[in-house]
Amino acid sequence: MSEAVDSVSVDEGRGGGPRTMISLQQVSKTYPKAEAPAVRELTMDVPEGDIVMLIGPSGCGKTTTLKMMNRLIEPTGGRIVLDGDDVTDVNADELRRRIGYVIQQVGLFPHLTIAANIAVVPKMLGWDRNRTAKRVDELLHLVGMEPGQYRDRYPRQLSGGQAQRVGVARGLAADPPLMLMDEPFGAIDPITRERLQDEFAGLQQQVRKTICFVTHDLTEAVKLGDKIAVFGPGGTLEQYDTPDEVLTRPANEFVAEFVGSGAAVRRLSLLELARLELDEVVISTGGAPAGNHPVVALDDAGRPERWLSVPGTDQPPPLVTVPLTGTVYDAVDVMLDAGVPLVAVVDGDGESRGALRWQTLIGDLRAKRRRP
Amino acid sequence: MTATTETAAPAAAPQRRAWWRGNLDLLVNPAVVVVGLGLVALYASTVDFDSVARRALNPAGLRRQTIEHLVLTGVSTLIVIVIAVPLGVALSRDAVGRSRGAVLAVGGFLQALPPLGVVVLIGFWLGFEPSSMILALVLASLLPVLTNTVVGLRQVDDAMIEAARGMGMTAWRTLLGVELPLAIPVMMAGIRVALVLNVGTATFGAFIGAGGLGVPLFSMLKLFRLDAVLVIASLVAALALLVDWFGAIVERLVAGRAS
Ligand SMILES: Nc1ncnc2c1ncn2[C@@H]1O[C@H](COP(=O)(O)OP(=O)(O)OP(=O)(O)O)[C@@H](O)[C@H]1O
Ligand SMILES: [Mg+2]
Repeated sequence: MSEAVDSVSVDEGRGGGPRTMISLQQVSKTYPKAEAPAVRELTMDVPEGDIVMLIGPSGCGKTTTLKMMNRLIEPTGGRIVLDGDDVTDVNADELRRRIGYVIQQVGLFPHLTIAANIAVVPKMLGWDRNRTAKRVDELLHLVGMEPGQYRDRYPRQLSGGQAQRVGVARGLAADPPLMLMDEPFGAIDPITRERLQDEFAGLQQQVRKTICFVTHDLTEAVKLGDKIAVFGPGGTLEQYDTPDEVLTRPANEFVAEFVGSGAAVRRLSLLELARLELDEVVISTGGAPAGNHPVVALDDAGRPERWLSVPGTDQPPPLVTVPLTGTVYDAVDVMLDAGVPLVAVVDGDGESRGALRWQTLIGDLRAKRRRP
Repeated sequence: MTATTETAAPAAAPQRRAWWRGNLDLLVNPAVVVVGLGLVALYASTVDFDSVARRALNPAGLRRQTIEHLVLTGVSTLIVIVIAVPLGVALSRDAVGRSRGAVLAVGGFLQALPPLGVVVLIGFWLGFEPSSMILALVLASLLPVLTNTVVGLRQVDDAMIEAARGMGMTAWRTLLGVELPLAIPVMMAGIRVALVLNVGTATFGAFIGAGGLGVPLFSMLKLFRLDAVLVIASLVAALALLVDWFGAIVERLVAGRAS
């Protein structure tokens, strides 16, 4: 480990982008008796408030990387800087109380109630009873479980999905700025998983944590991640970028293969409408063509009712809508189903947010920057 | 570490009902004891015991010997727990590695020695008194508690330990708050085996002056008063059943809600 690395890249904002929450610098881990390192000279900065998804084939060192961040595993090389402090300098137990940890296997304690499970870290931090109890209820609410109903249950009385939520609540208990989550939705059926992901995305809107999130699921990575770290065999970091970049501009052969090169249709389901630069729609009460944009008429409630004119067509096609929360895949599905060359995209209130046109789809789909 | 114990009032009633239903099996053991002893008493009432047998069966004497017997059993089992549990905890640590097998093998060797031989040897070595008997009992029943402590702790899901450490619990706290509570059912099973074993072995206390129900048992056997032997042997058996029953109750109370 080199003492000379004093130019630690902890830039304090000020036009230099967001602060770095945790920074891995040339971190390596070779397990005892292993010939090859499980993680090889990994360098990665996780910006504060971002979700970074660690993804890659099995055995490529994702869990190892995560556990090095809270020193459940000691790196054999390099350094890890958390919020400006080298983590190897601090007491590991205290360090871990500041970092939320959700393990791959949920790991709720079967002999403790749900409330006591969630209260483990607050208790260690010496919170008083009232504060702890309030926090437990608050967290149960947050993960969508009625406190009165679940507080005094035992883990074996929960379904798999509920247990995973409690696992997440437990990780959040002491309001740590950094969360490490190892496949928190791993062992869950696709439908529940999708719901949990949606809830999780909503949750993150509220709590704004810095999160390192391991997953096997590319859909999940794209859906939840601000950034994706693609690991390759031998514990190397192949690409570390935004989901859109990873999908549209894979850094190398391996990443291209991993994100499913050629499977263009599959990629559609990864593109959320909310993330796209949608086609502009002109709202009009008259029938005048508006340059190159489709014109839509609204009903009394301000919702799109029918197309008045659509460039490139003589007769405006019937209007069909897809919700903004859907993906391009959904939009294409609707287009093919209704036989129309465009769909109107509406938000939760049913108001128009733009359109997606077939022409754009096969031409130049552009993602917009998230959270401008 | 204790779980939040205050249970909401409305939840209490159904829980109590469930408690009874879940623990009905605990009534089997005392029922067997009562019926069995009743049958033996019925049989004994038909027998015309001679004065020798009657002296051995006098209630005051039997009561004292039963208490001696229980003290031998209880004290030796307590000592076993005090020795075997910490030793088992130490042996269960990952760092111990290969020597774990060696220590358990030594325990297995002790266990395999014939108890009567051990009792008599220790009696000659340390004197004919209750404390020698207790030492012999400890040696004879150490292994089940030790093995079960090690096994109980080793079978705790690694995920539990990783979750505990990952949340910042110290190694001690993890042991006391997570590992031991989860190992308790297996450990208690070992302790029950030790208890029952000790009730039986404690009869040999008669040979080294340690008292207990072995005294009238073996003297009646020697004098060929088989009806009296039957009565005393039934008492020992009943004692073993009741001690095991006691262990079962403690196990339920301690392990309670863990599963
Ligand atoms: N405790 C250990 N001792 C020795 N080798 C280990 C240990 N833990 C992991 N490894 C090895 O290190 C490599 C990386 O393991 P790791 O658990 O980090 O993979 P992963 O990316 O999390 O895989 P998965 O997606 O299957 O969870 C693997 O080859 C694994 O066999
Ligand atoms: Mg893993």
